[in-house]
Amino acid sequence: MRGSNRRTAAKSTVVAFGPVSRLWWVVLLAMAVLSCHGRAAPTSALARVRAAGVLRWGGDIQGGEPYVYEDSEHGGRLTGFEVELASALARELGVRAQFVQNDWSALIPSLERGTFDVALNGVEVTAQRVGRVRFTRPYYIFGARLMARRDDARILATLASLRGRRVGTLANSYSYELLRGVAEVVPYEGVEEPYIDLVQGRTDAVLLDDIIATRYGEPKPELRVVGDLTDGYYSIAVRPGEADLQQALDRALARITASGELERILRGSNIWSDRERRLLAWTDDDQRRMLGTAAAGQRFGWSHVVLFAKGALVTLLLSALSMCLAIPLGIGLAVTRLFGPKALSRLAGAYVELYRGTPVLLQLYVLYYGLAPIVKLDALPAAVIGLGMNYAAYEAEVYRAGIQAVPRGQMEAALSLGMSLPLALRRVVLPQAFRLALPSVTNDFIALLKDSSLVSVITVVELTKQMTITAVDIRGWALPGALCALMYFLMSYPLSLWAQRLEARLARS
Amino acid sequence: MIEVHELRKVYGERTILGGITATFEKGQVVALVGPSGGGKSTLLRCLNGLESFDSGRVVVGGETLLPGGAKVNRAALHRVRQRVGMVFQQWNLFAHRTALGNVIEAPVHVKGAPLAQATERGRELLARVGLSHREGAYPHEMSGGEQQRVAIARALAMDPEVLLLDEPTSALDPERVGEVLDVLGALAADGLTMLIVTHEMRFAREVSHRTLVLHGGQIIEEGPSRSVIDDPKHERTRAFLGLDRK
Repeated sequence: MRGSNRRTAAKSTVVAFGPVSRLWWVVLLAMAVLSCHGRAAPTSALARVRAAGVLRWGGDIQGGEPYVYEDSEHGGRLTGFEVELASALARELGVRAQFVQNDWSALIPSLERGTFDVALNGVEVTAQRVGRVRFTRPYYIFGARLMARRDDARILATLASLRGRRVGTLANSYSYELLRGVAEVVPYEGVEEPYIDLVQGRTDAVLLDDIIATRYGEPKPELRVVGDLTDGYYSIAVRPGEADLQQALDRALARITASGELERILRGSNIWSDRERRLLAWTDDDQRRMLGTAAAGQRFGWSHVVLFAKGALVTLLLSALSMCLAIPLGIGLAVTRLFGPKALSRLAGAYVELYRGTPVLLQLYVLYYGLAPIVKLDALPAAVIGLGMNYAAYEAEVYRAGIQAVPRGQMEAALSLGMSLPLALRRVVLPQAFRLALPSVTNDFIALLKDSSLVSVITVVELTKQMTITAVDIRGWALPGALCALMYFLMSYPLSLWAQRLEARLARS
Repeated sequence: MIEVHELRKVYGERTILGGITATFEKGQVVALVGPSGGGKSTLLRCLNGLESFDSGRVVVGGETLLPGGAKVNRAALHRVRQRVGMVFQQWNLFAHRTALGNVIEAPVHVKGAPLAQATERGRELLARVGLSHREGAYPHEMSGGEQQRVAIARALAMDPEVLLLDEPTSALDPERVGEVLDVLGALAADGLTMLIVTHEMRFAREVSHRTLVLHGGQIIEEGPSRSVIDDPKHERTRAFLGLDRK
């Protein structure tokens, strides 16, 4: 199936060689390259692991306690029930466990490209993943736990009660799949943020694994547990072609489950519940049922293209509004810095340095989550303000350079005609500075188009986020990636052309 | 009209203006001449506050400017500048405005004149400097002489009581100098008060009533233009005018 896809792709690149424009040729080539990578050699994976003497397992420390985390009391030693589990399994295989740090959302792609042997970090068995990787028997059974505000009685422990409500969860998680098509899903990238937003009233409920709910949701006095909707499973993900490694891990898991070691490990982290008893009598039928929910991967179709177009619209709107904020604010900062009283001028300078000198991701975080108790902004306004305030710092420097490039005589002539400083700036200096700055401003706008993808950390679904969501749905990055790139290109290239023409025109006059 | 008392300006070690006292009468055309670095332009720019000074004072039409620059003199400068026009060596036309746009800018936005009225007046002034056919031209499309004539029209549009001209022909191509001097000669004939820093001795001799010779930040000689230029008393004036080489 995948092989035949590959052939079609290769054929179309050949066809594209001739009459189709060079741009398409590049896009198709990129697609072909992307769709070819990531298939491991079909030798024995178990033999490879044994020969290396290490089982490399991928996880993300950021996931935190109790999964995998650095124990601050013991000099940052790696701790967590999955660390213990990996060690126990490696021991059963006769090798050593070696942790490989990897961003959680990219665990499966990294597994596919061979960064590590297995992904073992709260990887939930979802329909989308079953088609992509090979799952061992589960090592933990969780409840998809629904939480709501204590004072909100509308939320009941059924999926149906969530219809039309804003429900937060981790992007591409088991709960995310449950909620899709039912509730208005708000996708997060961290485990703490969904509950912060729920407390703030930005969402109506949060659906996440019981471990996460216990650690991050339940301690909040404003929240209540509504109930657990369904059971879900943590399994170890292995590359599809490595059945022998999966089977060896299954046997090892069975042994440590039978010996009571798994229970000891889970109890050590206080996550052994009645559900876990099912692990003790796990059968092939159970395994089939667990995997059986697997739906066929979606085909990339028009519905995705429409979603992409929506994502692109969000990106464009977000960038345009942010720039509309950044430009006047930047002009204000530049003018204050150059002509304002000393104290204000210093303040403007400090603003520029602060915003240029710290990551925009952090600024978005502080604005959206940090300031939530004081000003409760919705995600999109927060994104516009966050990006706008960040880009204002860059625009301020562009205008400062522009203002300084306007000959001094222009200001002197304006003043000598009786204009006040503000009037001279507004009527004479700034219009000329703006022209000088325009090419740089256009370039900044192009950069902003792409930087706007950062706002997915505060739950805005724009083009890049849409791309990652779709890539999970259709189990492939090539087509969504190429389409996403193409859409960015279609937005930025006309701007780029415009900037070039402007620069040429300015150079002439 | 303009009184200057003990005007002093130093720049680090260097004395730019060494205590200058002078009076400029209404209706007079006064030429400020002398070697480069003598303080002519600085003196001129002190009169409308484009330069600050360290001691002394300047009184323009009853408004007093004190040491300390724009901060101290903000209110006075605002009034002074509406009554005193200035023409620069490098023209300094607003690069983003047409010839007519340059001329009507200040009447409309400083004085609040209605656009139609300012435009009509602007066209008259452009006609007066011989540039009616260039009203839609941008500065970069005009020759230096044309730009300087627009700059003169721009200054006149504010109906100044005094026009300060800072080497108005020094940056022009030689063949363009005449057209600007013709305009200035006509303005002098109409009785406009002008202070002009210039190296055009023949123009100073023919058009200005008085000539002041500045050297090293001091007025070393002054008097009726013909006598100062034809028969200077001070040896440095003679040297500057090249009379001793004959």
